[in-house]
Amino acid sequence: MAVQVGGTSEFNSEINVTPMVDVMLVLLIIFMIVTPLLQQGVSVNLPRDMISPDEDGDIAKDTSVVIAIPDNFNFYIGKEAYPIDALGEKVKNLMKDKPPEKRIVYIKSGVEVDYGRVVQAIDTIRKQDVDKIGLVADKKKDQTPPKS
Amino acid sequence: MGMSSGGGGDDARPNINVTPLIDVLLVLLIIFMVITPLKPSRFEAKVPAEPKPEDQTVAKPNPLTLVIGINKSDNVITLNNEPSGDISDTTELNGKLSKIFKDRENNGVFREGTNEVEKTVFIKSPRSVRYGNVVKVIDAAKTAGAQPIGLQIDDLSE
Repeated sequence: MAVQVGGTSEFNSEINVTPMVDVMLVLLIIFMIVTPLLQQGVSVNLPRDMISPDEDGDIAKDTSVVIAIPDNFNFYIGKEAYPIDALGEKVKNLMKDKPPEKRIVYIKSGVEVDYGRVVQAIDTIRKQDVDKIGLVADKKKDQTPPKS
Repeated sequence: MGMSSGGGGDDARPNINVTPLIDVLLVLLIIFMVITPLKPSRFEAKVPAEPKPEDQTVAKPNPLTLVIGINKSDNVITLNNEPSGDISDTTELNGKLSKIFKDRENNGVFREGTNEVEKTVFIKSPRSVRYGNVVKVIDAAKTAGAQPIGLQIDDLSE
């Protein structure tokens, strides 16, 4: 009896792990939600430290069409590789229901890729009546946007 | 005795322990601070429509359009065939473009049929140039104020 009462009103040698567990669970949940958002498609060595690209939240949206060109041999939409002949058809299908102002295809190309490969992709895209291309590039941090 | 140990103390304490709540909120704050700068960004470029074989009418060349070229062998950037620095340093190109756009603004050189200043820039690069270098040139042109930026797709050299 005396020992039990001492546990509440005198010394308590147990560490209270409840807040820690709370924090860890929240961290776990947040990373579970965020990870798929950050890693869409294949990883590409994007051009970095660019001064003036415009931020565009649409790039990360599921509905937008992003073609990734990680090297000189492959084109990816999402996580699937497409040969250049099938790319046009795929873009056409994805673009089918888009209003004219939303008809933009994003290209995520690695810096080491030959421009010719990118041109090939763009050439295929424009055959589907898309004339706007978004070239995805990383913006330099702490850079004030230039006056336009 | 049994009552007091079960109740957790002799007096009822009505204050809420907010420490876990604050812990969680701080962690949330930190995570969002880390994630926010990862918002993606892009250059918008336009491509001319595909040339149709049956359409042989020659389009009137626009004397105001600027063409930036990249020379494959020595990495020199040209602006309307004038050398304007090289790929490792785009400040010269940037300066020239800014000056041209400024002059046009002062002189009121407008795009045909509108009252926007003509700032169209075309980029023409051989196919074997690294994509990274092309993007660097696009970045320089965009920083100078070029809008829209067009990519030449047809008749590129290797």
